[in-house]
Amino acid sequence: MASIDLDKMLTKIKSTQWALSDIDWDAPGAELITEEQWPKLKDFMADLMWIEHVGARAFAAMAKKAPTDTLRQIYTYFHAEEQRHANAEMALMKRWGMLEGDEIPEPNINLRLVIEWLDRYSDDMPVYVLGTVVPMLEIALDGALCTFLLETVKDPVCHQAFEKINDDESRHLGVGFSVMEMQGRGKTFIGATKMLAPLLDPRLMLGIASYVPLLNKMRDNIITMGLPEERLYAAMAKFEKIGGRTEDGRRNPWFQVIRQHAKLVVNRRNHVYHVPVDGMVKLTGLIPRRALPAVPSWVRELTYQPTA
Amino acid sequence: MTTSSASPKKAPGKAATRKRPTTGKRATVKKTPAVKPAAVLIVGAGFAGLGMAIRLKQAGIKDIVILERASAVGGTWRDNQYPGAACDIPSNLYSYSFAPNPNWSRSFSGSEEILGYIHHLVAEFELEPYIRFEKNVEDLSFDEKKGIWTATTDKGEQFAGRAAVMAQGPLSNCSFPAITGIEDFTGHKIHSARWDHEYDFTGKKVAVIGTGASGIQIIPELVKQAGHVKVFQRTPGWVMPRPDFATPAWNKKLFEKLPASQQAMRNLLYWSHESMALAVIWKSPLTRIAERVARLHLRRQVKDRWLRRQLTPDFTIGCKRVLVSNDYYPALQKDNAKLITWPIARLSEKGVRTVEGIEHQVDCIVFATGFDVSHSGTPFPVKGRDGRVLGEEWQGGAQAYKSINVSGYPNLFMTFGPNSGPGHNSALVYMESQLDYAVKGIEKILKDDLKMLDVKEDVQRRHNKAIQKRLARTNWNSGCKSWYLTDDGFNATMYPGFATQYAAQMAEFEERDYETV
Repeated sequence: MASIDLDKMLTKIKSTQWALSDIDWDAPGAELITEEQWPKLKDFMADLMWIEHVGARAFAAMAKKAPTDTLRQIYTYFHAEEQRHANAEMALMKRWGMLEGDEIPEPNINLRLVIEWLDRYSDDMPVYVLGTVVPMLEIALDGALCTFLLETVKDPVCHQAFEKINDDESRHLGVGFSVMEMQGRGKTFIGATKMLAPLLDPRLMLGIASYVPLLNKMRDNIITMGLPEERLYAAMAKFEKIGGRTEDGRRNPWFQVIRQHAKLVVNRRNHVYHVPVDGMVKLTGLIPRRALPAVPSWVRELTYQPTA
Repeated sequence: MTTSSASPKKAPGKAATRKRPTTGKRATVKKTPAVKPAAVLIVGAGFAGLGMAIRLKQAGIKDIVILERASAVGGTWRDNQYPGAACDIPSNLYSYSFAPNPNWSRSFSGSEEILGYIHHLVAEFELEPYIRFEKNVEDLSFDEKKGIWTATTDKGEQFAGRAAVMAQGPLSNCSFPAITGIEDFTGHKIHSARWDHEYDFTGKKVAVIGTGASGIQIIPELVKQAGHVKVFQRTPGWVMPRPDFATPAWNKKLFEKLPASQQAMRNLLYWSHESMALAVIWKSPLTRIAERVARLHLRRQVKDRWLRRQLTPDFTIGCKRVLVSNDYYPALQKDNAKLITWPIARLSEKGVRTVEGIEHQVDCIVFATGFDVSHSGTPFPVKGRDGRVLGEEWQGGAQAYKSINVSGYPNLFMTFGPNSGPGHNSALVYMESQLDYAVKGIEKILKDDLKMLDVKEDVQRRHNKAIQKRLARTNWNSGCKSWYLTDDGFNATMYPGFATQYAAQMAEFEERDYETV
């Protein structure tokens, strides 16, 4: 992917905004959700909504660290757009009768840990760390899960909403990969090594400890929902393909780190990786909810109502 | 309105001149017989224009005409009467040293009291006879042969003067911002600088767009009155605590009986503000201390981590105007208030659509979005020697000599001209230096019966080169976007130094810097 003109992208982002009220959430089609689908879909949507939140919080952190004003504005918009996606997904859940009152669905514990980490430490992380992890999460989790959703759910309102969401996401990925390339441009060995220095930061180590089990957990969830895990791997392969298509992209050391890690995730026969990580998933599953700190207050910003 | 130093809100001398839409019908200019020129023609009856008249009178120059576009004096302080409007410089410093007021009711007085002070100036110095109200200047031209400036109003009336003073103020014009869909909104719209006192906010859902100097003063008042207030913030500013208290009666009596005590207080305030220059104009250890004070203020008043994050600026303190408030943060946390930091996508028929996809429906939108500050033009055409037009010469950014004269525009003086804005001290302190400088220039014109007193072009060029060199090292030019800068980042607004330095610059009127005819 050739580098994109970020100024033009910002103009395009500003001129293509949509709102929840652009969609008729009471239109016919909700009845197309089958009874069999319903419970699985409820958990699935809750996770999806929270993954949007992961992206949102990461973009919020990146906006603070953006190297240019244009990129700062773009990330500020992306932060809000991820929130819009979460709001739209919550509106779908409301439409499908999956919300009890105004309650916000609970995420799985691994998502919860990642969000906790993001909220505490992401503002202190260099932009190139999040700038590489976020495209991976978007392409892998968002991408794989959305594909599944559109294949299995017949409700036209769901398709209408995700058409808009996917348009946004394609811009997020376009900017994401472009920035990865920018940050790999002209990197010498020493420069690249310096970019890896945060790996020694204990705060980032905690982040990695939250990120690694999340991918395995999501893989398990995908299997539970009846989706072949290869879908997830195919989405992850896209990250390697697009992120590594230029010399600059490949020179970004964080691209290499995430790519190598993706290879480990995809290779189920690598027991050296999967046995301990699956153990972490099980272990984190034992953490009682009450032991976690209160959810950050920005979570309460979520709403399924188009007007406020 | 807040300020007294250089904020868009306060600059003294507001405006007697409003830029009229060029598409509108223009009154036919009457061919009037030659107008008898006054000694001095002043445009604007705000702090600047009235102060100019006072200093001229005190110098024995009484042939003065003041043109005011409105039907009352007061400029910025007449226009900015929104709830909570106040000055953010202590009143004992935000007043003229030649007209002390021992009776300020608070350390930071409200706009009504400041406007009262301005009316008091008019009465005490008997200025009313000099003022021509509802004279909206649309053109100011210099006749090189006669050495006369002629102002033409929108009604075609003409007024002339041997010298002219542009005291219309930099913050006198305002308009609704160019937000997509603003014309679609069917609810009530109010601009902070043109407050609608008839509108009843009781029980209403209100949006406030803008969290600058005016916004943070309006919001606490609206939260007290309205049903619900949504505050739309683009960039948070640094907010410092405001040591505001009522003036005890004994204090007023002391100032009245012993004026030296009030002067001593003024000096104390002056030097404490001067020291702030080290924090807000240049990056120094004091800058970090000032930021720390502001962070502590935020931390003490806001307990929620995310809200604190939303309210924490990401630019060096001083780069944009420093705000002062004790009640802004608490107001945002009231049950009927909410801070919204999502970018605004557009306005709709019923409210504000933000990028998170939600339409925030409201009865009224308050635009606390500042003023139309021109860095590269003039509020009305100003024509100098050889047919030159000032707005055209300033296309690349306004420039003047010592902020007050422009080469090619003889006998013309400006208050709050280019690079005269303070970021840390009272605007009126700067103003006094300008007024006294103008008096010296005008005295020279009248005494020597000059047709032209015109600053030399190379002198002006050297002055600006030095100013821009110094500006490059200031916090204003450190990377944030602010109304101080043009879109290209040129700073035609602020003076890069202490008020004391500015006063020293204005203290001497160097005849050798001027060409005289």
